[in-house]
Amino acid sequence: MKKKPFNWLTLFLMVTALAVVLAGCSGGGNSNNGGADSGTNSGSDTGSGSGGKKTEILFWSPFSGADGPFMKKIVDKYNGSQDKYKVNFVIQPNGEYYKQLDVALSTAKESPDLVIMHVDQVPTYVSKGQLIAIDELASAAGISKADYAEAPVEYSTIDGKWYSIPLDIHPLVMYYNKDLFEKAGITEVPTNREQFDAAVQKLTDKDAGVYGYVVPTLWPQQFIFPTLVWQNGGELWNGSDVAYNSPEAAEMVDWLRGMIDSGISPANVQQDGENTLFLQGKNAIQFNGPWMKSQFDEAGLNYGVAPVPQIGKAKQAVYAGSHGFAIPKNVTDENVTAGIGDFLKYVSSNSMDWAESGQALASKPMLESEAFKALEFQSSVAEAFPYVQFAPNVLNWGTIVEPVWGELNNALLGKKDTQAALDEAVEKSRQAMK
Amino acid sequence: MRPSLLSRFTSFLFITPYLAAFCLFLLFPILYGIFISLHNFELLSTEHDFVGLRNYIDIFTPGTYTNSLFFRGLWATIQFVLFSVPLLIVTGLGLALLVNALPRKLRSLFRTVFFVPYALSASVMAVIWLMMFDTNAGFLNGLLAKLSLTGVPWLTDVPWAWVSLIVTTLWWTIGFNMIIFVNALNEVPDDYYEAASIDGAGAWHKFAHITLPSIRPVMLFVMITSTIASFNIYAQPFLLTRGGPGDTTKVLLMNVLDQAFIRKELGSASAMAILMALLIIIISIVQFKLTTGRKENAS
Repeated sequence: MKKKPFNWLTLFLMVTALAVVLAGCSGGGNSNNGGADSGTNSGSDTGSGSGGKKTEILFWSPFSGADGPFMKKIVDKYNGSQDKYKVNFVIQPNGEYYKQLDVALSTAKESPDLVIMHVDQVPTYVSKGQLIAIDELASAAGISKADYAEAPVEYSTIDGKWYSIPLDIHPLVMYYNKDLFEKAGITEVPTNREQFDAAVQKLTDKDAGVYGYVVPTLWPQQFIFPTLVWQNGGELWNGSDVAYNSPEAAEMVDWLRGMIDSGISPANVQQDGENTLFLQGKNAIQFNGPWMKSQFDEAGLNYGVAPVPQIGKAKQAVYAGSHGFAIPKNVTDENVTAGIGDFLKYVSSNSMDWAESGQALASKPMLESEAFKALEFQSSVAEAFPYVQFAPNVLNWGTIVEPVWGELNNALLGKKDTQAALDEAVEKSRQAMK
Repeated sequence: MRPSLLSRFTSFLFITPYLAAFCLFLLFPILYGIFISLHNFELLSTEHDFVGLRNYIDIFTPGTYTNSLFFRGLWATIQFVLFSVPLLIVTGLGLALLVNALPRKLRSLFRTVFFVPYALSASVMAVIWLMMFDTNAGFLNGLLAKLSLTGVPWLTDVPWAWVSLIVTTLWWTIGFNMIIFVNALNEVPDDYYEAASIDGAGAWHKFAHITLPSIRPVMLFVMITSTIASFNIYAQPFLLTRGGPGDTTKVLLMNVLDQAFIRKELGSASAMAILMALLIIIISIVQFKLTTGRKENAS
C-alpha cells in the first residue's frame, strides 16, 4: 500500500531518463565534438552545395588539453582571412582519439577531411590504405618538403609518396631545477655522460632529501629507454626482429639502475613519482616531454630546459613524437582538397600560435623567424631536431614493444636481472609479432 | 481472473521504453560482439573474413599471443576478485551496521560521507590515491616516517600493489554496497529483535540468528554484483600501477583493450571479452546455487 506512489515516481524517473538517453543518441553526431569548438561546427554537414557558398573542411584533432585553444586560434584566423573555405575545427578527447578516428574511418560517416596524426601512426594507416598521398596537393598549394624539418618528412614518405605534413616535433628534453643547480655549484648544463654523472652526484643531498635524478620506472620510459638505446649504438628493431636485449641496451638499463643503487635516485618510484619530487624541488633533473612546460610554469618552478645529454657512447639521438596533418582516403572532392592545401599553406607560415602552446614547430620558415627564436623554451627544444628519431616503422609496433615496459619496470625495481628481463621482453614481443 | 486484453496491452506499453533501451544498448551490442568475435575483424580493414571459432581456439592454444594475453590477464583479475569480493561484502555490511547504530541525525550525514567517493570519476580517484601511496612523497609513507618506520612500496611491489588496489577499490565503491545493506537492515522487523531480547539473546546472537538470515537475499545480490564489478576491474590498475610491478597487476580488461584499440584486432578482443562474460555468468550461477541451496537445508 505504502509503496504505490513510490512506484509511480520510479516509473516517471525511468521514462524521463530514457527520454534523455534517446535524445542524446539522436544528436549523437554532434555531441562527440569535444569541448572547445562551440559555434564553429554548426552546419558542418551542409556541404558545399548550397548556392556556391564556402567549401567546408572538417578538421579533427586530439588537442583536448591546454593546447586546443591555440590551434583553434589558428583556424579562426584562417577562416577570417579568406572567404572561399571554412575549416570546422573539432577536438576529440586525447585518450579516445584513435578509437574515434578508426570508427569514423571504417564507417565513412561523419568522416573528417583533414586529421592530426602522430607521425609514428602514419605507416600503420598507410599500410591499411586509409591515407591519401599528399604530393599533388602539396605541389598545387606551393608546399615544399624542403620547408620542413627532415625527420618527420622522411618518416612519412613511404614508397616514394609523402603522407603527412608535419606541424611540430616533440622530443624528450631535459628539465633541471635552477635553484638546486646553483646550490650545488653547477654552472654548466651537462651535455654528456661524464658531466651528467658528476652533476647528479653533486646535486644529491641526503639530508635535505634531494635527489640528483629520480629514475622513473614506468612512463615516460617509453621516451627515455629508446633514447638511451639509440645513443649507445643499439636498436629497438634491427630490420626483421626486435633487438632490445642487446648489450648496448642492457648497459643503459644498468646505468639507470646504478643511480638507484647508489642513492642518486630513490627506489620504488611509482607512476609520476619523479615528477612529484621535481615539483617539490626534491628531484634536480628529469627527462620528459615539452608538454610538461605549462605544469611547471603553473607551479612557479625556477627551471631550465636543455637537450637530453648524450649518455650513450655511440651518438647523439633522442626519441620524439610529432604531430602532422594527414588526409583520409575518402576525401575526393576537388574543392575540399584545394581548400585543405590552402589551409596547410597558411599554417606553414602562420603557426606561431601553436608555438605559444609550448611546441617546437616543424616548419622551417617559422623556425628561422625572429618571433620563434625569441621563444627561449621552444628554440631550446628545437635544437634536438637534427638528431630526433621516431618509433620503428613496423606494423603493430605499439603491441610488439608493449612487453618491454613491464620488463623494464621489473629490471628498474630490482625484481629481475637486467639481461633476464630484456630477454623475456624479447620473447614476449616475438609472440606479438606472429 | 485473467487480465483483460487492454490491461495487458497497457502493461506492455509500460515496459516498451525499457525494452527498446535494452535492445538498443544491451542486446544488440552483445549479439554484435558475438558476431565480431567470429570474424577476423581488423578495425581499419573494410573486409572482415568469417573465421568461425578460430579466435576462440587461438586463445586456448598455448604459445599464441592471445593465449598469453588472456590467461596472464585472467590470473591477475582472479587474484583481485578473490581478495576484493569478501572485503567488499564484509566492509559494506560493517559500515551499514555502524551507520545504522548512529543517532538518527548523524546517520544520513555519514551515509552521504561514505557514498560520496562512489560518485567520483576514476581519474579523480587516481589522483587522490597516487598522492596517498607515493613511495617517496606520499601521505602514507610520510606518516610512517613520522613514526620512525620504513616506508612501504605501495604500488611497486607485491603484495602491496594488491593491497593498495583493494584499499582504493573499497574506498571508491563501498558506498554502493553500504546503501544496499542499510536498506536491507531497515527491512528487518523490529519485533524479531524485541522477542530475542526478551529471550535473553546478546548482540552477537541477534546478528547471527536474526540479521544475517533476514538479509540473505540481499547478501546474495551484493555478492554477485561485487563479483561482477571486481571482474571488470580496469581503472584502478590502469591509472595507479600501470600493471606493475612488471605485469603482475595487468588485469584482463587492460589486455582486452590493448588488443582492441592498440592492435586494432576487434575479433580476438571480442572473443576474449565474451569468454570473460561467460566465466562471470558461470561463477554467478554457482554462487546462486550454493547460497540458495544452503537456505533450503537450513529451513
